[in-house]
Amino acid sequence: MVRDVRMHTSEGFTPGLRGPGSGSTATRELTTIVRAARRSGRVATTAKALAAFALVLATSSDALAQRSLDAQNRVVQSNLPPAAGERGGPGLAIKAKKILTVPYEGEQFVDNAVLVVKDGKIEAVGPARTTPIPAGYQVLDVGDHWLMPGFVDLHSHVGGTFDINDTVYLTNPGLRVQTSVVPANEMFKVAVAGGVTSVLYIPGSGVNCGGQGILLKTGLEHFEEARIRMPGSLKIAQAGNPEGWTVGVGRSLMNWNTRDMLKRGKAYALRWKAFEEGRGEKPERDLEHDVFRDLEAHRTQISTHTQMYQVVMTTITMLSREFGFSVYIDHGEMAGYKASELAQENNVNAIVGPREIEIPTRQFIQWTGSNPEAILGIAAEYRKRGMKDVGFNTDAPVVPQEELLVQATTAARYGFPTRDLDTVRGLTIIPARTAGISDRVGCLQPGRDADVLVIVGDPADPRCAVDTVFIEGKKVYDTALERRRW
Amino acid sequence: MISTNRIERFVVGALLALLAFPVTGHAWQEGDEKKDESADKKKEEPDKWFVVKNAEIHTGTGSVLRDAMLVAKNGKIDEIGHDLDVPPDAKVLDAQGLRVYPGLVAISSAGLVGQATSDFGDTVNPFNSNMILGLATGITTTGIGNAAVKLKRFSIKDLVVRDRIFSVFSWSARNPSGKRSLREKFQSASAYLRDYRAWEEKVKKDKELKEPQKKNVDTTVLAVLKGESTAKFNANERDDLLGIAHLAQEFGFRPVIEGCVEGWTVADELGRAGAMAIVTPRDRRPKDEALVRDGGSSIENAAILHRSGVAVAVVPGTESVDLGGLVGRDIMHLPIEAGFAIRGGLPEDAGLASITTTSARILGVQHRVGSLEVGKDCDLIVVDKDLLHYEAFVQWTVIDGKVVYDKQKELYFAHIRPRADAPAEPKKLDKGETEPKPDADKPKEGEEPKDGEKKGDEKKNGEGDGEKKGG
Repeated sequence: MVRDVRMHTSEGFTPGLRGPGSGSTATRELTTIVRAARRSGRVATTAKALAAFALVLATSSDALAQRSLDAQNRVVQSNLPPAAGERGGPGLAIKAKKILTVPYEGEQFVDNAVLVVKDGKIEAVGPARTTPIPAGYQVLDVGDHWLMPGFVDLHSHVGGTFDINDTVYLTNPGLRVQTSVVPANEMFKVAVAGGVTSVLYIPGSGVNCGGQGILLKTGLEHFEEARIRMPGSLKIAQAGNPEGWTVGVGRSLMNWNTRDMLKRGKAYALRWKAFEEGRGEKPERDLEHDVFRDLEAHRTQISTHTQMYQVVMTTITMLSREFGFSVYIDHGEMAGYKASELAQENNVNAIVGPREIEIPTRQFIQWTGSNPEAILGIAAEYRKRGMKDVGFNTDAPVVPQEELLVQATTAARYGFPTRDLDTVRGLTIIPARTAGISDRVGCLQPGRDADVLVIVGDPADPRCAVDTVFIEGKKVYDTALERRRW
Repeated sequence: MISTNRIERFVVGALLALLAFPVTGHAWQEGDEKKDESADKKKEEPDKWFVVKNAEIHTGTGSVLRDAMLVAKNGKIDEIGHDLDVPPDAKVLDAQGLRVYPGLVAISSAGLVGQATSDFGDTVNPFNSNMILGLATGITTTGIGNAAVKLKRFSIKDLVVRDRIFSVFSWSARNPSGKRSLREKFQSASAYLRDYRAWEEKVKKDKELKEPQKKNVDTTVLAVLKGESTAKFNANERDDLLGIAHLAQEFGFRPVIEGCVEGWTVADELGRAGAMAIVTPRDRRPKDEALVRDGGSSIENAAILHRSGVAVAVVPGTESVDLGGLVGRDIMHLPIEAGFAIRGGLPEDAGLASITTTSARILGVQHRVGSLEVGKDCDLIVVDKDLLHYEAFVQWTVIDGKVVYDKQKELYFAHIRPRADAPAEPKKLDKGETEPKPDADKPKEGEEPKDGEKKGDEKKNGEGDGEKKGG
């Protein structure tokens, strides 16, 4: 546990909230508590973080808050200084044969390069010859290994307890999956070794709208530090799955009901917008529809479980065109690629997986091959039809969280181009940008979080193992010190 | 690619230009018919030569020959080397810029040669689409049921390489009485065998001496001790693996252990027992938290076992062809699964061996298949790059010196990174197949919306045509 405590003794540790997540009362209260604790000079502890997490789990009752403060008083002192690269620690410079920086635009990699990290953020990246390493920085040379940003998976269900499929109502925009988060859980620990450092943990697709997902760092041990953004997305499953879980619904009712929810949410968000712009009365707070304020302001997106052609069409026409929300195809598979051009026109990105191939005429049910057809790569078909930004997701645990790379492997095998680091981008910057968090993760650029993989080579090649993983400058996995997790 | 001698060229010249799959299919079917007619006639038949030239030949024994040739005579490898003579009527495959590997030996699979696991002569469907996908993966021999079977397309002749390979035993901590009874069987069979061997010596002098009683001796166990069959266990837990290792050492046999998930925790013991393991590198088994020791699955399993001298064959998590779309873990991705063993630290050559020579050895068919050596069956694959690379596609699969799969002539993968020499418009039907195909009319697409936007529908049709033309 001593190792866990270290993080919190650092001066620079700011458990402040980022982004639109601050809308939640429980978390806002938590911030106040944590800040108060810091002001009073107490050393933050694991117990505090655990208590804080318990608080988040359990709404904001006063009794609980008091208990949490009591817990904070049982201080565990640690004298371990933060390591190089971590918040509050000295700087860290990592030298490598190749750094895949993969920004959205521009040069995608640097050879014989160095990455400079301070306080968990990237300070500089460039050729070792021309990039100065400030005095006092620790230098780590990883030799022939490569550096690259950690992978981002926008469709994961393994962020915590599995009770993420409330199937009482068809649409539940007010439910938040963050109540079930178990940070750095066992599956995440393996995922880190598979290179996955950020995930969108979302409700299941049992109903049309399961609630709000949360963007998390996989390898950080406390809720506050693991959270990237809340709400990470509003999860909508348009069709293809909810019918199987809910009795007696068909496509028409589902679409009508989803549209009805969007209509109410949009109206609520517009009332707030009017108030904020001084054009109306202050609306009454409605927790069920509060997420639509974030959607209206494009601070979060709708991640849509959508796969079949006509369902993808509905995603584009209803969610993007009609209501104007930021939306992306998540869990993109089957013949959805046939709507690729229209998706591209409406800035709807495709995050593909867990299915990566398609047998066009018989789908995948009882296909005998007696009527020969080609085996198509779904990512390749999206790209062939002009989809610029194609990313990959796992739907973990359908595909194990650590096997995100296999989605890229198989996409490339079945025709997705690899020439311009397309597979690497599909694991990193594309999903990061799609989820609106590319200012923090997805590429190795100055100012971004130092979520860095030290990898043997091509990340889409299963043979290339991940050797070391840093998340926000903190070493969370190191095969020199422990057995390979994956 | 495939050329014939001049006379044949004259005869079928025009045909060759049109037919995508000219000689192999026809010639070899004719050959089969002739063989059937009479054994005498067969002897008079001219030798059948098959040559691969300009290839980078990975023999599977560790050596790589660049710009080399392989010559096969009547389905057996005759010569491998440089600047060899090409017999005048040989069929020649030009593998310029490509690599040749031994055909893969899948240690086990399901459905590649039909659904049955025995009586292959009666049950194999040599037109099975899964067989084509198996050949597309590069698999030429597979363990199935208790036999090693070749993926002989269009024919059921001589497809069983070896039968009755394994004697399957159970050894589990959950069944202590089963363990005890198996031990007792080994004890009595071992005692009998000792007595029998002694008797064999003594009877030479004393002809009257009575043969030891075989009563109550388990014939399956006896077969293992005599080396007639191989003992196979399915075990994953450390205690069971240790028990099997001790049993094997005590009675002197080499066990094959399928699963072997916790093998890495007792690798030395397994190595000393001469165990052979069939592993799935991506097997996931959580560690029993009650235990202080190592346990559960590890990506390093294959590597650690290999370092301890355990022969390791790799099998994917799904042993059949799975077109459900959750790709990457079925039999079509056998080399990718081997890639995961390499991820865990298995050397590349052992990774290749895990799906060729080692699996052939475990199946006891290494004298016929698994590597490219003179005298062995000419079962090989021509691949466009490093076989273990995820983008590598098998271009041709050859079994017994005959091309049975050509990527550009089949519909499954022809559109993916088409070969330079590929015809602009691939033929829809495989020329090798004699069975009439169901009509090739565009089938109704269940997934397509009937009420979908017109724009989308038009697009779909347009693209459909484009795909076929573009290849």
